[in-house]
Amino acid sequence: MSENKGVLVYCESAGGKLTTTATELLGAGSRLAKASGEELNAVLIGSGVSGLAQEAIAYGAQKVYVVEEPLLKDYSTEPYLMALEEIVRQVAPEIILLGQTATGRDLAPWLAFHLNTGATMDCIALEIDPGSKRLLMTRPVYGGNAQAVQVCEFNPQIATVRTKAMAPLAKDSTRQGQVIKVVAEIDPAAIKTRVIERKLEAAAGVKLEEARVVVSGGRGMGSTDGFKQLAEIAGVLKGAVGATRPPCDKKWVADTQQIGLTGKVVSPDLYIAVGLSGASQHVSGFSSAKVIVAINKDPEANIFKVAHYGIVADWKAVLPAFTAELKEVAG
Amino acid sequence: MKNIVVCMKQVLDPEVPLSLFKIDTEAKLAVLPKATPPVLSPFDENALEAALKIKDAQPVTITVLSLGKKLTRAVVKASLAAGADQLFLLEDESFSDFNTFLTANALAAAIKKLGQYDLILCGIQAADTNAGQVSTGIASLLSIPCITYARKVELVGDRVKVERTLPEGYEVVEVPSPVVVTTNYEVGALREPDVEAFMSAGKKPLTVWNVQDLGLESGKTSRTSFLKMYQPAHDIKCELMGGASPEEKAVKLVAKLKDLKVI
Amino acid sequence: MSPVSESYFGIPGYIIFWLLFVVALGLFIQRASLLLRLLKLGQPENRFDRLTYRFINMLAVAFTQSSNLKSFTLKDPAALGHAIMFWGLMIFGVAYLIFIGLGAGFGLYTLFSGSGFETVFYSILDIVAVLVILAMVWVVLKRYLIIPERLKREMGTAEKIIQPLLIIVILGLMVLHFGIEGFRYAAYGIPNPGPLLGASLANALVNSGISREALAITYRSLWWLNFVLLLAAVIYAPRSKHLHPLTSFANLVFRNLAPKGSLKPVDLKKPETRGASKIQDFTWKQLLDLYSCTWCGRCHMVCPAQLSGKPLSPRELILGMKEHLLEVGPDLLKTRRAKPAATTGKAVEAHAEPAAKPQEPGQALIGGVISEDAIWSCTTCRACQEVCPVSIEHIDKIIDLRRHLQMVAMSEIARDPLKNLRVRGNPWRGTMYARTDWTEGLDIKVVGEDSNIDVLYWVGCTEALEDRSLKVAQAVAKLMKQAGVNFGVLGEEEMCCGDPARRLGAEHLFQMLVANNIQLFQSYKIKKIVTACPHCFNTLKNEYPQFGGQYEVVHHTQFIAGLIKESKLKIKPSGKARVTYQEPCYLGRYNDIFQAPRQILNSLPGVTLVEMEQNKKAGFCCGGGGGRMWLEEKIGRRISEIRLEQALNTKAQVIATACPFCLQMFEDAAREKEGAEAPKIKDIAELAAESLEVPQDTARPGNKESTE
Repeated sequence: MSENKGVLVYCESAGGKLTTTATELLGAGSRLAKASGEELNAVLIGSGVSGLAQEAIAYGAQKVYVVEEPLLKDYSTEPYLMALEEIVRQVAPEIILLGQTATGRDLAPWLAFHLNTGATMDCIALEIDPGSKRLLMTRPVYGGNAQAVQVCEFNPQIATVRTKAMAPLAKDSTRQGQVIKVVAEIDPAAIKTRVIERKLEAAAGVKLEEARVVVSGGRGMGSTDGFKQLAEIAGVLKGAVGATRPPCDKKWVADTQQIGLTGKVVSPDLYIAVGLSGASQHVSGFSSAKVIVAINKDPEANIFKVAHYGIVADWKAVLPAFTAELKEVAG
Repeated sequence: MKNIVVCMKQVLDPEVPLSLFKIDTEAKLAVLPKATPPVLSPFDENALEAALKIKDAQPVTITVLSLGKKLTRAVVKASLAAGADQLFLLEDESFSDFNTFLTANALAAAIKKLGQYDLILCGIQAADTNAGQVSTGIASLLSIPCITYARKVELVGDRVKVERTLPEGYEVVEVPSPVVVTTNYEVGALREPDVEAFMSAGKKPLTVWNVQDLGLESGKTSRTSFLKMYQPAHDIKCELMGGASPEEKAVKLVAKLKDLKVI
Repeated sequence: MSPVSESYFGIPGYIIFWLLFVVALGLFIQRASLLLRLLKLGQPENRFDRLTYRFINMLAVAFTQSSNLKSFTLKDPAALGHAIMFWGLMIFGVAYLIFIGLGAGFGLYTLFSGSGFETVFYSILDIVAVLVILAMVWVVLKRYLIIPERLKREMGTAEKIIQPLLIIVILGLMVLHFGIEGFRYAAYGIPNPGPLLGASLANALVNSGISREALAITYRSLWWLNFVLLLAAVIYAPRSKHLHPLTSFANLVFRNLAPKGSLKPVDLKKPETRGASKIQDFTWKQLLDLYSCTWCGRCHMVCPAQLSGKPLSPRELILGMKEHLLEVGPDLLKTRRAKPAATTGKAVEAHAEPAAKPQEPGQALIGGVISEDAIWSCTTCRACQEVCPVSIEHIDKIIDLRRHLQMVAMSEIARDPLKNLRVRGNPWRGTMYARTDWTEGLDIKVVGEDSNIDVLYWVGCTEALEDRSLKVAQAVAKLMKQAGVNFGVLGEEEMCCGDPARRLGAEHLFQMLVANNIQLFQSYKIKKIVTACPHCFNTLKNEYPQFGGQYEVVHHTQFIAGLIKESKLKIKPSGKARVTYQEPCYLGRYNDIFQAPRQILNSLPGVTLVEMEQNKKAGFCCGGGGGRMWLEEKIGRRISEIRLEQALNTKAQVIATACPFCLQMFEDAAREKEGAEAPKIKDIAELAAESLEVPQDTARPGNKESTE
């Protein structure tokens, strides 16, 4: 195998645009490429995605490899893997970045095992070690209670990156780059998974992952009524309501509202944590929020160790006044 | 009779009280607190529940594999108490909680050694590594597909039908067995053992294999290594709102947030 | 002169007498034998220890009517009426034996006819009969005109007919006593001196001018009517709710002599003892309880679940099961006779209903006679058993039903806490605390590091792991340190005492925890244990001995009261406060500890102790017992709210508790209550620690609060 060079970013798209994660990966990738004096490449796989190549370039990619097949219209592991492996074979990157998304979580380990290298998942920081020139990947472990810095001795070094952990470059439509169409030999007979049904449910209101304000409740909310008050606040601030695991278990909220390591990871401008203790698994879901506010009656609660601002009081006493004041000021 | 293999990892209790959680920065591992016993990784318990739900509907054998450097028998045998038929422990000094490559190879070797495997169930990710790679590794080594994020798993003849959670909904897929399927918590909480099972778990078959038994060549080292592991310092000092009453504090908070321009 | 010695339609009276008697006796025995055989359907149980004591105790209780009269109040004086009925009918019973049995049946009437003995006896009967008649009039009033709440129960058509008939029978027998007396003396001669009322009646009859023959015929007719009514009652009693007079004696003899707070242990290896799901899974004594219910409804009226709108009624539990037993029992007996192997005990595969089990008629026990909601509503507060006049045990039946649901039927109830007990040794899933977190900065000895201690402070799961209750543990430790007590804690090695597991029916988890703890106590040579939780206290004291663990167990209020008495704790005057005390069920009713907590409160200067209306043995539950601390209260009103209202009625500023469950339940209920009237809720240890003559620890705002 020829020497591995450059950074390859796997770009996902939705609704005719690159996802924000993709732009963030390109930002991170560009910084890594610069640090190692290498090229930043992007790969787009799907059907009708070639139009996005320019956008990828605008966000920093120097070369964009595109695989377009009608077969690849919807994501499915086997064909996408075949396409991606073809690109990797051609490009021989030193570093491959994917998002810690459903797709990225799927493809990264496959790539690692097929290429006899290692993948490092859910990275929150990436940098090139000035001495060894290897990629240093920082990620949470033990449910977020600890962090680890990992290196991979093999090439390509594969990392999946957490959403909102990296900053995209400013979009510059004047940037120049190359678009390379690649034909991947995808053998339909080799695809063993057959999709019988796919149902996409449109989320009502503001999507949790995209909300700029998230109001979350925990066990201390006590019931669905407690969450109604949170929904009112979210409504005023045009945000979304999240929860820790117990309210989901108790069916005070839907499972899809769970924020945490095994739920959704959000990165809003404002995260208001009400009646929740701040267990690590939950905190990992929002620790990158810009401003974290906690309302809890227990001054020793862990949430106060991660919050920027807080009120030590029973939420029942705080929320009515809080909501009323918000309506005045921000409504 | 079909054989469902469930991989269940013994992990540091994810609900360990924070004051008991410490990282040994030399060993680059968490120190196992004496007071808090390890547990079976929660998503792996969901995997076992998925297997038991299949067993409710049709006769199958459930074989549990647990891999670790040193496994606490009381912890891993809980899988037998819950309803698994046999337990294989893969125990060896060379095993590690964080060695994806070796773990996948060992589990794949063990599964091959079992002979028959129609469905392999794992949790979406382990509670200590939070990585979710080993399942794919097993699939890759056995050259079978891997379906992730299952919330419902069925064995229909020689095919496996999986309903999987998508970020924006769900999809139903069908794959010929054998296949690796990883389960999330929507599959259902692992049932508690009834007292008969609780008392008779000790009588079910338990086998222990080490690296030699699995025929693993040496040199199956990890593909990644740890430079360091640490507990991030909490250097955020929370500014508490002052005030004579909760209402007053609430008003102060709103003013603060307005200042910060987040509302 | 005896009506029996006459002939009627050519048949000698003796023959009629004995014929009727034999028929009645036969019918009585037929029914009694069925009831006995139904009892035999139940599992074995050893209640035959200390038989002499049991018997004498029964005599004392029954004849003084103490178990009934304890419920006497001016508002509900029915117990007095019953006592009158009891003594009255006992005396009449003896009279019937002597005068009808020996006198008429065996023809020995000549021995006492007209004698002084008879006069005296009849005089007594005269008074008794009047009293009983008055009591019966009271009964009629209370059954048909002013019906008390506790007697309001839906009666089946059979019972609707039986009740008035039985009233008529008893009234009839009493009135007939006078009739027989009067007409007999009037016909055959009034003795001098004669029974006061009887003689007066006889005189009146003699003076009425009725012919002697008419008098005699009336006398004989009344006598036979009396005899028939008596036999009717004998035939009837075992077929009605008046079975209770017959079985209540036995129920008292065989009552539970084990400590009140101990549930009977289960041999987990035997499938047939893993709880009850069918009526024959209960023991014969539990089935005997069902016969003995008097329908008084007292248990119903004191049950906090019932009073807060839950579907549980202790009375309905017992009567429903009794009706169920009578409904399905006879067929079950038939099937057992035919196929003994299929029905005795449970199948070996405990979690699958055996195919050989025959179809049972009628509804199922769980889900039919008693709903699962009702089974889980019980807080095991023991108020029902406290007031039951015939020592019926309601709680053990609920626990046996729970055992089946938890260990065999695998109910989803309390799954998280029970799983947490199994995996982590505590029921508080989601706690962020380690068991030693509360000791931070307090320099507490951990037995694992230094086992030289005089007494073990058993902290309990709630006080180690629940936010609010940590402060209680700190207060207790502070008091003990101040008094110079050489104590230690188990720290991280401490595991749940097991009470929640056992009360929720997960006996296997309970026994696992007990075994673990006993081993721990043994390794540290623990002899004396102080605990601030009445549930831990009760289990360690009364249930651990079942598994070989014998320790001197003291509740923290007893211990602190002792320290105050020995002047090891100095209390300084603090702010004035009106304080009321919440009686913990497991400390008061279960273990008769009432004085110690009050002694402590009374020794705090400035404290005015006001009692709630329901206190001591009548204390009202907070709703947290029976494992309910970990269950959602979705039906009806919250029990804790009801008790909080009762506490607020005392206008107390502080509610003193001695149990972490009471503390939590009140804190939650007070939080729900809007307005500034919410009183402070403090454990007695906290109140004592605040009043200690020591410099206050200024770093903890909680301890600084005055009791104002």
